[in-house]
Amino acid sequence: MSRLAVRNAWSAFMICVAAACAGIAALLLAIIVLYVLSKGAGALRPTFFTQIPRPVGIPGGGVANAILGSAEIIALASIAAVPIGTAAGVYLALFGRGRVAASVRFLSDVLTGVPSIAIGVFAYALVVLPARQFSAVSASVALGIIMLPIIVRTTEEAVRLVPHTIREGALALGIPAWKATLLVTVPVARPGITTGVLLAIARVAGESAPLLFTAFGNPQWSVGLTHPIAALPLVIFQYAISPYKDWQQTAWGGALVLIALVFALNLAARVALRSRFAR
Amino acid sequence: MKSIHRAAAAALACAVLGTGSLALADTQIVGAGSTFDNPFFSRAFFQYKSDHPDVTVNYQSIGSGGGIQQFTARTVDFGASDVPLNPNEMKAARDANGAVVEFPVTLGGVAIAYNVSGAPGHLQLSSSVLANIFLGKISVWNDPAITSLNPGANIPNLPIIVVHRADSSGTTYIFTDYLSRISAQWKSQIGTSKSVSWPAPSSVGMKGNEGVAGQIQNTPGSIGYIELAYALENDIPYAALQNQAGKFVVPTLDSVRAAAAQKPTVSPDDFSIVDLPGADSYPICGYSWVMLWRNQADPDRGKQLADLFKWVVTSGQAYAVNVKYVALPESVQAMAQKALATIHS
Repeated sequence: MSRLAVRNAWSAFMICVAAACAGIAALLLAIIVLYVLSKGAGALRPTFFTQIPRPVGIPGGGVANAILGSAEIIALASIAAVPIGTAAGVYLALFGRGRVAASVRFLSDVLTGVPSIAIGVFAYALVVLPARQFSAVSASVALGIIMLPIIVRTTEEAVRLVPHTIREGALALGIPAWKATLLVTVPVARPGITTGVLLAIARVAGESAPLLFTAFGNPQWSVGLTHPIAALPLVIFQYAISPYKDWQQTAWGGALVLIALVFALNLAARVALRSRFAR
Repeated sequence: MKSIHRAAAAALACAVLGTGSLALADTQIVGAGSTFDNPFFSRAFFQYKSDHPDVTVNYQSIGSGGGIQQFTARTVDFGASDVPLNPNEMKAARDANGAVVEFPVTLGGVAIAYNVSGAPGHLQLSSSVLANIFLGKISVWNDPAITSLNPGANIPNLPIIVVHRADSSGTTYIFTDYLSRISAQWKSQIGTSKSVSWPAPSSVGMKGNEGVAGQIQNTPGSIGYIELAYALENDIPYAALQNQAGKFVVPTLDSVRAAAAQKPTVSPDDFSIVDLPGADSYPICGYSWVMLWRNQADPDRGKQLADLFKWVVTSGQAYAVNVKYVALPESVQAMAQKALATIHS
């Protein structure tokens, strides 16, 4: 009896500890969001989203070019990384056997862990130096490389979760394997794949290190693929370390926009996942 | 899902259309380097854009060393550095793309900025005290060597934290050039360079003049060296330094101008203007230089580059004064124009 009481007390204690840890994790996020809100909300005037930066000492201006630049770089990176990543993931889940698949899996796990700055330097050497130009394309190459392994692994997991029986049923009806893959298996796994893509985008949206020597930054409107381009994380980096009060506030505003963006993407991923079970 | 696809397609379409329309109208000139120049450049290029809507200048302040590196790698159209290329850098650049044209674009002072609550707006520091602070030999603010120079000032007992540049920096070159002239120990142990190993035990490195200025603002007890414009624009207190004539001089546009007037001609081989004589001369001043390739592959672009900098070194100097730099003296403007005339395009 006393032994049971000890066990129950121990169990209650551990539950409290676990709950406290969960609370700390949630509290940290809340503190970060509230702090960035309090610092950055003041910067979010309408001009923040419509104008380009002004030089030092001239008040006003915004970071519209950086928001557009980030959107362009991420869109380009996605166009390259999503088809390759999902195709690789489907291959690994359905067809990949033996050594090749194992090494692809291993290498993509390693790639996930490569520091983003190293990938930035790689894109600098691969794209910027030969072209003799910092460019939006080189930034997209860097971000695309970072996105790729995330998409590969989440797609593989999502496709694996599709019950064999569905695919086997399709094959039994005489549908070719490629058609069964594209029209039966992948659509069932689509919410999971979408989630992976959105999380990959959320991951790279806040990256500044790989952009330092690829996108390079631009104080003007510029969307040319072969020109240096502004990006939100770069502006935050540059403005946050600046001594100018209004630049620092702009950096907080930019951080707030980024957090809101990542939050929205995570929420969208949640919704996509939920619709799978509603079906 | 479909709507996401549609949004992505729309964004891409906008980007592609935008590329086409902007690429036709615009010449983008890209430069990188000195953070010393950045407030002046950002103002001057902003003005140039409104006078010449077809020319856009994108200047990124990544530090003088980075500017030289990117210029030599030919990823940018021009580099900016507070020191001309040294012989090794010049050789690397020549090997990469032939002759280099270097000319001064602005003149400024390096302020010794600090964050000491209770200290006066301009602490007086002699050259030996300054050297000893950066050598780490003076480590508290109320050291007798400092208080005796500032009688009546209420200086707290606060440890000194030296803030220096972490990146390869022309401002560091100018400052260590000065320290090497006033202190034999500095000259023999540390020397003059764009990046040195800082001897003071409590020291912290930051990126760019921006980073050093920001760090000083946020760190009680800190002292560091920044371009004067950064101290003035941000209301950071800065020291009055003892010049060669023994007078304590606050860095101002006038005291920097007075120092530069002591040496009317400069060249890439003889550019140092620190520790000059004259009762009104501020001792730590420097020109900042721009590098261009003498042979421009694209004639139109080459002409636009030359026109841009002809404006920067003459009429553009009016904007230097606005952001607390000193306009180039006439003799130096003439030298810069002469250098610019040698560019083939």
